[in-house]
Amino acid sequence: MSDYILELNDVVKTFGGVRALNGVHFQLKKGEIHALMGENGAGKSTFIKVITGVHQPDSGLMTLEGEKITFRNTSDSAKMGIAAIYQHVTSFPDLTVTENIFMGQEIKNKFGVYDWKAMHQRAKELIEPLSKEIDVKKPMGTLSVAAQQLVEIAKALSRDARILIMDEPTASLTRNECLELYRITKELRDKGVSIIFITHRFEDMYELASRVTVFRDSTYVGTWDVDGITNQDLVKAMVGRELTAMYPEKTAKIGDVVLEVDNISKEGYFKNISFNVRRGEILALTGLVGAGRTEVCQTIYGIMTPDTGEIRLEGQKVNIKSPIDALKLGIGLLPENRQTEGLVNELPIYQNVSSATMNQFVKKGQLDVDAEMENAIALCKKIQLKANDITAPPSSLSGGNQQKVVVAKMLSSEQKVLIMDEPTKGIDVGAKYSIYEIMNDLACRGYAIIMVSSEMPEVLGVADRIVVLKGGRVTGQFDSMDNVTQEMILEASLKEKGGDK
Amino acid sequence: MKNLLKSRNTGLIVVLILLLIVAGIVTPTMFGVQSLISMLQNNSVYALLAVGEMCVILTGGIDISIASQLAFVGIVCTSLSCSNPTVPGIVFVLLGLVLGALCGGLNGFLVGKLKMVPMICTLGTMYIFRGLAFVVSGGEWWFAVAYSDTYRNWAIARVLGLPAIIWIAIIVMIIAGFFQSYTTAGRRIYAIGTSRESAAVAGVNEGTVTLYAYIICGALTGLAGMLYTANYAIGYYGMAEGFEMTAIAICVLGGVSITGGKGRMDGVAIGVLIMAVVTYFISMIPGMSVWQKALQGAIIIVAVAINYFTERSAAKQALKERGALI
Amino acid sequence: MPGSNYDRDLTVKEGFVLSKFLVKWEMILVYILLALNLVLILFKTDLYFQAGTVQSIINAGLDVSPMVLGMVFILLLGDIDCSVAAQMIFGGMVTGLLMDKGVPAIIAVICGIIACMCCGAFNGACVAYLKMPAVITTISTAMLFRGIVEIVLGENSLKNFPAWYNKIGWYNIADIIPLSALLFIIMGVIFCFVLHKTTFGRRAYIVGNNPTCATYSGISVTKVKMQIFILMGFMAGIGSIFFIGRMGGGVSSSMGTGYEMTAIACAVLGGVSTNGGKGKMYGPIIATFIMAFLTYTLGLLGVDPNTKKIFTGVILILTILISTVNKQMIKDIKLKLIYHSNKNIEAINYRTIDFVKEKKAEIVEIKKSGAADADKKIAAINAEIEAAKKECAEKSAAWWAEQKADAQKAKERFSK
Repeated sequence: MSDYILELNDVVKTFGGVRALNGVHFQLKKGEIHALMGENGAGKSTFIKVITGVHQPDSGLMTLEGEKITFRNTSDSAKMGIAAIYQHVTSFPDLTVTENIFMGQEIKNKFGVYDWKAMHQRAKELIEPLSKEIDVKKPMGTLSVAAQQLVEIAKALSRDARILIMDEPTASLTRNECLELYRITKELRDKGVSIIFITHRFEDMYELASRVTVFRDSTYVGTWDVDGITNQDLVKAMVGRELTAMYPEKTAKIGDVVLEVDNISKEGYFKNISFNVRRGEILALTGLVGAGRTEVCQTIYGIMTPDTGEIRLEGQKVNIKSPIDALKLGIGLLPENRQTEGLVNELPIYQNVSSATMNQFVKKGQLDVDAEMENAIALCKKIQLKANDITAPPSSLSGGNQQKVVVAKMLSSEQKVLIMDEPTKGIDVGAKYSIYEIMNDLACRGYAIIMVSSEMPEVLGVADRIVVLKGGRVTGQFDSMDNVTQEMILEASLKEKGGDK
Repeated sequence: MKNLLKSRNTGLIVVLILLLIVAGIVTPTMFGVQSLISMLQNNSVYALLAVGEMCVILTGGIDISIASQLAFVGIVCTSLSCSNPTVPGIVFVLLGLVLGALCGGLNGFLVGKLKMVPMICTLGTMYIFRGLAFVVSGGEWWFAVAYSDTYRNWAIARVLGLPAIIWIAIIVMIIAGFFQSYTTAGRRIYAIGTSRESAAVAGVNEGTVTLYAYIICGALTGLAGMLYTANYAIGYYGMAEGFEMTAIAICVLGGVSITGGKGRMDGVAIGVLIMAVVTYFISMIPGMSVWQKALQGAIIIVAVAINYFTERSAAKQALKERGALI
Repeated sequence: MPGSNYDRDLTVKEGFVLSKFLVKWEMILVYILLALNLVLILFKTDLYFQAGTVQSIINAGLDVSPMVLGMVFILLLGDIDCSVAAQMIFGGMVTGLLMDKGVPAIIAVICGIIACMCCGAFNGACVAYLKMPAVITTISTAMLFRGIVEIVLGENSLKNFPAWYNKIGWYNIADIIPLSALLFIIMGVIFCFVLHKTTFGRRAYIVGNNPTCATYSGISVTKVKMQIFILMGFMAGIGSIFFIGRMGGGVSSSMGTGYEMTAIACAVLGGVSTNGGKGKMYGPIIATFIMAFLTYTLGLLGVDPNTKKIFTGVILILTILISTVNKQMIKDIKLKLIYHSNKNIEAINYRTIDFVKEKKAEIVEIKKSGAADADKKIAAINAEIEAAKKECAEKSAAWWAEQKADAQKAKERFSK
């Protein structure tokens, strides 16, 4: 048994009735890099929080070097040599790099008082082998994401971690930064650290890992040697079924160009972005997280305004300063985070649906609630919303149905262009299919749809054309879907900066 | 960012010097040694309140009940001292600290453990403490004759040429500055103010940290209450009304971010001096005293607005740096 | 399973349920109001039935009422306005000064209200456009507005106000209905309509609940905030009429301190959450009356006005604490106390409860159907229930023992 440094058996974790982990298994060998893969919402992040003691599992067994163990909090797991680098960097932006590194185990002198000098010194020693450019006295918030990740690694090193968990560390790094990270990770492994490397990029896995475990929909799928599994099998394991059957047949007729984005730039976010989308067409905007896709959409929708460049709707130059303008012109946006941007959880479904269009229900200065409800019911039926009562709050629905409420809200006004930012993020497979059907149906009715997605199979299965972004620039465009493969898109989305200047 | 904070402090010092120059030209009498000392003496109470308020604001909260706490603790100390003139003053200093800590503890418990909104919670306790001050005092007023010397000496006795209350304020500020930068407890206050989620992941108990931040604030307020009555030799239930705003104003002026996590003791110290000069300056010009409230209000608004604009320009700067990466 | 039905009609299922209606917060407020009246009737019988007592209670308590209505909107946004009392005095000063100059009363009054709206607009601009925290902004503008009044008036007070001001504070229509109450009710009805029946009110809810979502839905958050702060200013202007009338037609810089707190307390007591987005207009209207009766009752019981502050503070804190108690919290406390913070134990208990419910429903079904072997079936089901309960208890005990052992181990291991 001592082959494995860490073992988890049949771990279950629920959050208010939702199963985030449903009986997962995991075995980590000493000194290996073990890739953990799965789609968004597969439960990877919850899993590491269970290992590090942020969450306590509802049931299941965790053994460390063959001995059963329970962590009450993160400092317990830190004492046992487990360190984690979370996906959304969990640092203190206003505090210095040094303090972030030593948070929880500060160096103190014999009077129990912070020894800043020693801490800065030690922090420098830890950081230097990783990066020469980081000033340890600077606040964490002023560093780039890559630098912040290096600080997190230094933090893990400072604790003599035996087990290091890295949650999608490469998601927002440049190619060179990735290579640097690979080098550091391998060095750590050679020093005997066992590493759990969470990623959804195959490249990371082939480069680093010796074994891979796959989660899907909060459950455990399997563990394989990296050498012994093919790409297809792995995708199948992650997605759960053959790719072909996952997407509805495309039936829409593609018409004229509706929306043209011409050379728009926004300092700090993206530069010289151009593309267009036609009636009845689904254009996929893809790339890695942090590539600037969401920001481009927000700019079209008027949440941000571009510094330069112009947007044309049906050939006319339009000046969109706010979502109010966008909605008037017939541009709708399905936001990425439905909880924070799409829904008002305290208000009933019908009020959510009509929140963008309530003016049309005003009769003699008064809101006609009956008409409002009728309209909402009609819309919700059209997209087959599974809900019992139109006056219930959306928080009572599942993720997929919540997303449908947001879709209904967008459909409540007449639109020409619909932007859907990660429309299937965090919803289950069945619900995904019905969202695709809705998209298809909308395309048939003449909508021009821009879909932002980071899931390659989805992009390949749904889109008519693909635009790939990387670091705020267009690095690839596929006008025909023939012969496009995941690898081609991936390559475009990893291109070094200035790649297509 | 540190440079920015530094430059903020230098900016504040420039403002302070300019104020002194203007004040010196308009009312040259202001620069007598005695009048400067009395200026500092009268503002020491604000310094204590500002240090306490700073601890609370750093957690991302606010305490608007401190003026009422001050009145309550001050009244308790006064009435006990006046009826027992033989008891040495040190007892009342300790009593003030403990009683204040209890008041702060109530706020801290409600905010930290029961998760009440700080503003509303301290609004409620503000009422309660003020009412208690009245109940304890029975509506009575105390004047100089009633105070014992050992009580008053804690504020007015000269030590090395300066009144004791100034020394106490200076010592408290030094200790607090040290506490905030060099001890775990102090740094945890910054940690939860910076990011509650990160603090939770790092295993910091947010509720407990909030609780002791309010307790520290309460204890310092209690101390200020005892010293206030000793300094002015007057005690009544309505005293110190509006002091909470002055304390908050000093913090904001000194660069403490109202959203928590940012701010340093040296900035607050300069803030105290600026506020002292402004109020003293106003009181020196005949007929200007009615301007005090309006000016204070305007100063806070301008200070918050300046904080907002510097933070926004810093964010823009950061974006530009990121833009260079693309 | 209720989820399996795909073709649902989505219509409103929840009709009017009396038992739910009776325990609504607004109804509880009504009970409190009645109880206060009862206390007065029982302990001060003569006084209560004396002509004019109830009227004077209401008249005395309603000078703050217009500001309560405005404050509800402000709190719905998740903001707060501590400058309303200062605005009120400021507006009163403008009216008074213009009256002194011989300006016609109606114009002076309108100018006073406009002055208050300007104050509100200033607050709104700071909060909505500069994104300054409402607390700090309004506390400092309170100092600013009151400071300006101090500068202008000094120690003087203004005495020249239209005669009908006093009527609003003191007059009873036909000696029965207080004019202030009538006006308050009329305003209350208008505000109920605006909040619950118009797009303006709906926007306030959406912005208060989720400003980001409001932006994405094409609602201008800054505009809504600006409008509401100006509305608050308007109500403070109306409030100045009520207040000065009640004060007998005079205003000075130190009057009306603490009125902002009373307004906030009334709104919070009325069930409006200070976090924004939650609350209705009816509650605060009733709460305003409660406050009026409460202050009066305390006064009758010989409580000094300063001591009353303790009660106001305690009520404020208690109501907020009570309103935070909800289902989730009860569940959490149950988890902590009964199920030893063990989700497993909680889960099996809930599962068992559900199972028992299901089985009991089955029994009812069987009884209804009146099948021949009904008794046998019922007995079998009862046995099942017993078994499930026993299993639940056993497992809970076992898990708890295990948890205790684990905790002990963890303690030993990590205390080193």
